Amino acid sequence: MENEIKGQQDRKKYVRALYSKFGASILEEKWQTQDQVTLTVKLNTLPEIVEEAYYGQGGWLSNVIGNDERSINGHFAVYYVLSIEAEKDPNKNLWLTIKALVPADKPEFPSVTPRVPAAVWYEREVRDMFGLEPVGLPDARRLVLPDDWPDNLYPLRKDAMDYRFRPDPVAEEENYQFIGVEGEGIVEVPLGPLHITSDEPGHFRLYVDGEYIVDADYRLFYVHRGMEKLAENRMDYDQVNFLAERICGICGYAHSVAYASAVETANGIEVPPRAQYIRTILLELERLHSHLLNLGLAAHLVGFDAGFMHFFRVREKAMQMAEILTGSRKSYGMNLIGGVRRDILKEQRDQVLRLIAELRSELDDLLDMLVNTPNFISRTQGVGRLDPKVARDFSPVGPNIRGSGYTRDTRADHPYGAYDRVSWNVISKNGCDVLSRLLVRAEELYESFKIIERCLDAMPPGPVLVEGFTYKPGTYALGYVEAPRGEDVHWVMTGNKQKVYRWRSRASTYNNWPSLRYMFRGNTVSDAPLIVASIDPCYSCTERVTVVDVRKKKAKTIQYQELEQYCRERKYSPLKN
Amino acid sequence: MLRLLKKALEVGEATVEYPFKPIEVAQGFRGKPAYDFSRCIGCGACATACPPNAITMDCDLERGIKSWNINYGRCIFCGRCEEVCPTGAIVLSKEFELAVIKKEDMYCRAELKLCRCIFCGEYFETFREIEYVREILEQVGLTKKSSESRVQFLKVCPKCRRHKVARIAALSNWHVDLNGRREENGTRS
Amino acid sequence: MEPEAKLQELKAKLKNVIKRSVYVYRVDCGGCNGCEIEIFGAITPVYDVERFGIKVVSSPRHADLLLFTGAMTRAMRLPAIRAYQAAPDPKIVVAYGACGCSGGIFHDSYGVWGGADAIFPVDVYIPGCPPTPAATLYGLAMALDLLQQKIKREQWVEKEVTPVLPKYEGVDPDLAKEIEREARRLSGYLYGRRIAAQYLEFVREKDPLAVDRKVKELVKQEKDPRLAEILLNLHKIYMERVGHDAG
Repeated sequence: MENEIKGQQDRKKYVRALYSKFGASILEEKWQTQDQVTLTVKLNTLPEIVEEAYYGQGGWLSNVIGNDERSINGHFAVYYVLSIEAEKDPNKNLWLTIKALVPADKPEFPSVTPRVPAAVWYEREVRDMFGLEPVGLPDARRLVLPDDWPDNLYPLRKDAMDYRFRPDPVAEEENYQFIGVEGEGIVEVPLGPLHITSDEPGHFRLYVDGEYIVDADYRLFYVHRGMEKLAENRMDYDQVNFLAERICGICGYAHSVAYASAVETANGIEVPPRAQYIRTILLELERLHSHLLNLGLAAHLVGFDAGFMHFFRVREKAMQMAEILTGSRKSYGMNLIGGVRRDILKEQRDQVLRLIAELRSELDDLLDMLVNTPNFISRTQGVGRLDPKVARDFSPVGPNIRGSGYTRDTRADHPYGAYDRVSWNVISKNGCDVLSRLLVRAEELYESFKIIERCLDAMPPGPVLVEGFTYKPGTYALGYVEAPRGEDVHWVMTGNKQKVYRWRSRASTYNNWPSLRYMFRGNTVSDAPLIVASIDPCYSCTERVTVVDVRKKKAKTIQYQELEQYCRERKYSPLKN
Repeated sequence: MLRLLKKALEVGEATVEYPFKPIEVAQGFRGKPAYDFSRCIGCGACATACPPNAITMDCDLERGIKSWNINYGRCIFCGRCEEVCPTGAIVLSKEFELAVIKKEDMYCRAELKLCRCIFCGEYFETFREIEYVREILEQVGLTKKSSESRVQFLKVCPKCRRHKVARIAALSNWHVDLNGRREENGTRS
Repeated sequence: MEPEAKLQELKAKLKNVIKRSVYVYRVDCGGCNGCEIEIFGAITPVYDVERFGIKVVSSPRHADLLLFTGAMTRAMRLPAIRAYQAAPDPKIVVAYGACGCSGGIFHDSYGVWGGADAIFPVDVYIPGCPPTPAATLYGLAMALDLLQQKIKREQWVEKEVTPVLPKYEGVDPDLAKEIEREARRLSGYLYGRRIAAQYLEFVREKDPLAVDRKVKELVKQEKDPRLAEILLNLHKIYMERVGHDAG
């Protein structure tokens, strides 16, 4: 108890520091919980205050939320969520939200991106979805909405349209403007959006000089499905758990937990400890299958296909565990607001412990084999460097930033579930390269084994679900989870009619894409698939490659397979001849 | 290289024998929702809970039919229907071989008869649901007499319940049979 | 010959020709990756569809069979159409997963057009969210006429009013409801219902002393301490109720 009060004091000092610097610009201070505070500031001071919190107070940008609050206070609003973790102490770390109201008749706000580059995607998205113009944002292109979407129709404005409205396509071809990189000998290499290995569609364009990549650009959001609007209109609080799970088929359970905990925190619902343990176990189970998937793909991309098959063979054990505990290999469907839907009995516990032991010994062998494969180290060391300075500017998350020397891990920085009740270690490496990121994942698997085993041993008695609470309209809070790919941060504002007023979900990969561009630079084309795979995006490769040779003014289309083969074998460059 | 070969030998054959032999799924596997028509009361709890709207309910007020529909092609196999069903009419089975050639084969439909409101004469609720509630009222030990007056309440549609509270108070003087015909107390044999 | 019949004949011929060597091209039209990784599961050692000659290829131009996953998003409509047109005719089109079959949980959202069949004709639907690798094997085998379809459209009509009886015969429905609720709170809907049913079997005894004795016996023998905990919690409810009724 004493610790908690002290913790709050420690956290208040960040807010006090902002007051002493910006005093009159801060209009309101509202604490959602002990470690979540929202400061409403004057619109014109937004960029300075976010910059101070980001660089001055050791903050990282975790989410930006646009909201249509015209029916509440006559304004639009933007919320910049920062995780202040300068002291690396879970009792002192703070979720600081800077909020500013945007007038309804003049929908624009000063862009934060020139001061804090990490805001770039968020501000483009707010413009797409709400029609709020970030003044001073250099990138004027769409981010989320497809090219065939009409101008001036902003889906998330409450009065814009019914959630089922499907406007006729306004374009019969994609017209996204890629950045143009010019210079002698620079070649443009587009990849996508369809691809053979796995995962989501996305379109890449690499600018190469000879074999070296000088820059890259990408068009993603081919899978924008309108979930946030759907949740606000069609679903009740419990149903959104299942929708959140379908943000991502690989780390969906993390999203479901992030959403549920945001609603629970906003409404002051206490989740029973046993349910917290069960959620923790399932989150780690998800990490197991996801990291094994990524290690398998890495093996494939360095040309070690036998290893790839072995990783997928042992990964089936993780899938089996999920089926035993939840009834489904994927899409666990375990969350309701207030707890979980299934208990873990002795029978299931014993089966899972046995499978973990098997998986651990299999993994020992496989990892040993992988790192001793002659070309594995040479292909991954020093490749796809994520410079710590670039990382600081763009707030990447997960194994991606932990491979560049930072120890950012939401499980430790802002503990939730049972992570502060069992012992485990944050894994971090200093190599900044593909190898470091892979090793972080490999070692995290062992931490996950530990967490699952310890949670299964220490599960407290009692219920797995609370009932009988009521939802309080108009409250809001954050929910956060360290998914396999990094933190997922959800923000929920409750509404009346048993529906969310606004649900904003930010997936981990969202924070990892913007810095990818810098990781490509200076590497060879043959490493591109490996670099993309090393951030473990919900996306891996592309279907075909068009090579545009600027010097010869000649375009050439080659099969993606050729590029992938080139990545594996590094012989017969498709760019030559 | 040799280690890899050794490993391969160690592991042997990892492949399952399915589809030549049935495959064992875990206890509690969430497969096709199996529907037991004889236990469905048409309360619609499953349709309200279903996140993807795979289960829907329709009322045909002309024919006096309430229908229950499922689209297995939209189902996400979450089991919420099973969780909320008060009578155990829907249970997720272990069945996963659901592929079909014709889209229609993914749909199932059940029709339940509706009861008329004793005031306005409109169809409003299934006989089964009213009977089910009556049965429960009887079992919790309410006397036949007071239970019967409660049954009359059950046969008033929500609209009339709201607007005609005073008239309902007089209900105990009536006896209503299952077809919703209103009769003076005592005239029914 | 009717064009439709002709197409069917061509497809039958195709299936006959490609029997042991089927090239599959996956088109992700806006899926969540759940389907994609389960397809991965199907092509890797444990399920290994390649033993049937089914191979995932990298270009639609090589494909005999197209596998569409995901709800058709606006942005993926054109790439999906390009992939469809690139595959040589005749081709077999499979809609995969709840989203591919019908749009799934996203079916009426502004961002999607619905399932794969909103854009082109589909030959086989494989439901599931996601379909397991075994369901994938089954569906692909069905698309190639190797296995028979199992489920079919069903329809039930109530001709005579047939009442539905409460779940636990001979048990006070209020008590049954309370026990079921508590069991769900403690152990979730699935185990909770099983445990409640097991417990309510005892209650049928009617004699509280006999019930108490039998439950304690069972708890003593129970090897799973968690199950024992839950049973005792349920028993507490019953005993309180009995005590209340008696006194």
